[in-house]
Amino acid sequence: MASLLQPDRVVYLVRGEKKIRAPLSQLYFCRYCSELRSLECVSHEVDSHYCPSCLENMPSAEAKLKKNRCANCFDCPCCMHTLSTRATNIPAPLPDDPTKTAMKKAYYLACGFCRWTSRDVGMADKSVASGGWQEPENPHTQRINKLIEYYQQLAHREKQDRDRKKMARRRQCMPLAFSQHTIHVVEKYGLGTRLQRQRPGAPISSLSGLSLKEGEEQKDITIEPAPALDEVEPLPEDCYSRPISLPEVTTLRQRLLQPDFQPAGASQLHPRHKHLLMKRSLRCRKCEHNLSKPEFNPTSIKFKIQLVAVSYIPEVRIMSIPNLRNMKESQVLLTLTNPVENITHVTLAPCEDDDPDDINSTAKVVVPGKQLVLAGKDAAAEYDELAEPQDFQDDPDVVAFRKSNKIGFFIKVIPQKEEDADVTVSFKIRHDFRNLAAPVRPSEEGGAAAAPAPAESIWLTHHVELRLGPLAP
Amino acid sequence: MIMRKHAGRIFIGCHISGRLDEENAQNSSAKIAAGAVVCVESEIRGDVTIGARTVVHPKARIIAEAGPIIIGEGNLIEEQALIINSYPENIMPDAEGVEPKTMVIGTNNVFEVGCVSQALKIGDNNVIESKSDLGRNVILTSGCIVGACCQVNACEVVPENTVVYGSNCIRRVQSEKPQSQTLQLDFLMKILPNYHHLKKTVKGSGTPVRN
Repeated sequence: MASLLQPDRVVYLVRGEKKIRAPLSQLYFCRYCSELRSLECVSHEVDSHYCPSCLENMPSAEAKLKKNRCANCFDCPCCMHTLSTRATNIPAPLPDDPTKTAMKKAYYLACGFCRWTSRDVGMADKSVASGGWQEPENPHTQRINKLIEYYQQLAHREKQDRDRKKMARRRQCMPLAFSQHTIHVVEKYGLGTRLQRQRPGAPISSLSGLSLKEGEEQKDITIEPAPALDEVEPLPEDCYSRPISLPEVTTLRQRLLQPDFQPAGASQLHPRHKHLLMKRSLRCRKCEHNLSKPEFNPTSIKFKIQLVAVSYIPEVRIMSIPNLRNMKESQVLLTLTNPVENITHVTLAPCEDDDPDDINSTAKVVVPGKQLVLAGKDAAAEYDELAEPQDFQDDPDVVAFRKSNKIGFFIKVIPQKEEDADVTVSFKIRHDFRNLAAPVRPSEEGGAAAAPAPAESIWLTHHVELRLGPLAP
Repeated sequence: MIMRKHAGRIFIGCHISGRLDEENAQNSSAKIAAGAVVCVESEIRGDVTIGARTVVHPKARIIAEAGPIIIGEGNLIEEQALIINSYPENIMPDAEGVEPKTMVIGTNNVFEVGCVSQALKIGDNNVIESKSDLGRNVILTSGCIVGACCQVNACEVVPENTVVYGSNCIRRVQSEKPQSQTLQLDFLMKILPNYHHLKKTVKGSGTPVRN
């Protein structure tokens, strides 16, 4: 019954700006705020850029200069796989003696998946293994660069105007100083950093790379508006009657991956440099602590800081479901796993009748009222043969089995809806959490270096929803 | 209930596939040209002709059930490849009026590991990649590449230099035929005899001329 272990069967509720229900494996736990966090209530920051095929690290400034593409690796324009360089031997006349021919190596790019080669589009073989391949030049580059410069200057000028107005009218409310247009233009180039988001009314000074330096003169750049043409090139006469050769036509995906050219014919699909991927770090928005910080090295998958929810919060999983029948009580076996090393006490409680979080449940649930005790996670338990099994007095009606840091327990489910395609139950789980990361509080007498306060336990409550599947026919 | 008449006796309830005397002497109806390297561990059943410079790996299976198979020169048939000339599904083996059709395979083809080929006519320089599946009604011309795990089942003639790839078996035409495997063939013809016994070749029989 592997389908019972699917992650979206058991979801935990995250009370952030938005109420999000997500499986515990996709959540983070901020141990400073002692709350669950999901991907939508944390801020994402770019840590580093790297190429997925050659694993080369690149600092952000260099990445931005190269338009977020790797210098060495290419993507197949046909199937987006990574291209590999292959060599052939071609006879070429020696420079010294034109009559003799020696074997020289010629390199071409080939895709191992769809068998596309650079010779298909007419790119000549190069004599160097890397660095010889050029991307075709975009004919509109100059115009685009000029437009970007013009808009940079415009944004800078408007920012200056705003600053001046802000100094002049300190007491008046800010929104008047901002025109819709200004916000729109500046936000277009905004970096989306947390500095920008946190102070929504303040002037944006972190437009790095876009604002002119203070010493530079303000060059007045003017651009001509794009000319409107009266006459358009007519379609070729055989446009409707010519039979289409399907291998020649590019697919929409192939075309849109090259927005500069968008070639319609497969013989114009040139390879492009590979996109860089980035490593991101996550930060809690309330307390500004890092929740997830990967290592800098692209070859390493470990994390420097990894505050994931599964290593702090006990996890509920469904073990077996009997046949569920409408309005009849059935016993469902769940497991509860303790991720921390100390003993955890867990209490379950059904949701109240007027609970605002309880919107999805379609069945009544009777949870065991007693407190469940979970043993700590002991990594060496399987090797330690002499350890005596701890004796917990388990009520056999409630606890089905106990195995190191996991217990199986029963809940009773009474489906309420007839012809329910997915019986959903929800309950609250309350457990104690020992916060080892609590900041040191100075003692109240005001003494000098106080001893670190003993880690105290706090009680956390989570709202859990389970999806048990359809009613038995 | 199945009834089969075989060798003057009636067997009720069992399939009899192939003829017992041919199974006893597997090599007797396989004509292997001189210069071909066919390992003993490969399974060759029925009327099979193998051309010169062809390499058949151990555990490859070439089964000529419903007609003879003629394999040209310079082919590379890797392990667990299955080349089978079988009866179409809805025709009983002993039904009358079914003429045995010959399966013809050209030169310089590569049948990679685990592929299944039932195509009756295969041209030259094709590559049939691992775990791909060719139906009986497909005719491969030259230079085609059938990608890994792709199934080509429709009744059609695949044009030259076609590449079938991807999970949806999409196609494209490449500009030149795939590279020939001469280096690999030479290497295998040197190395395989060091580690495997080879089936006996029949001297003096060249491959029959293909139309």
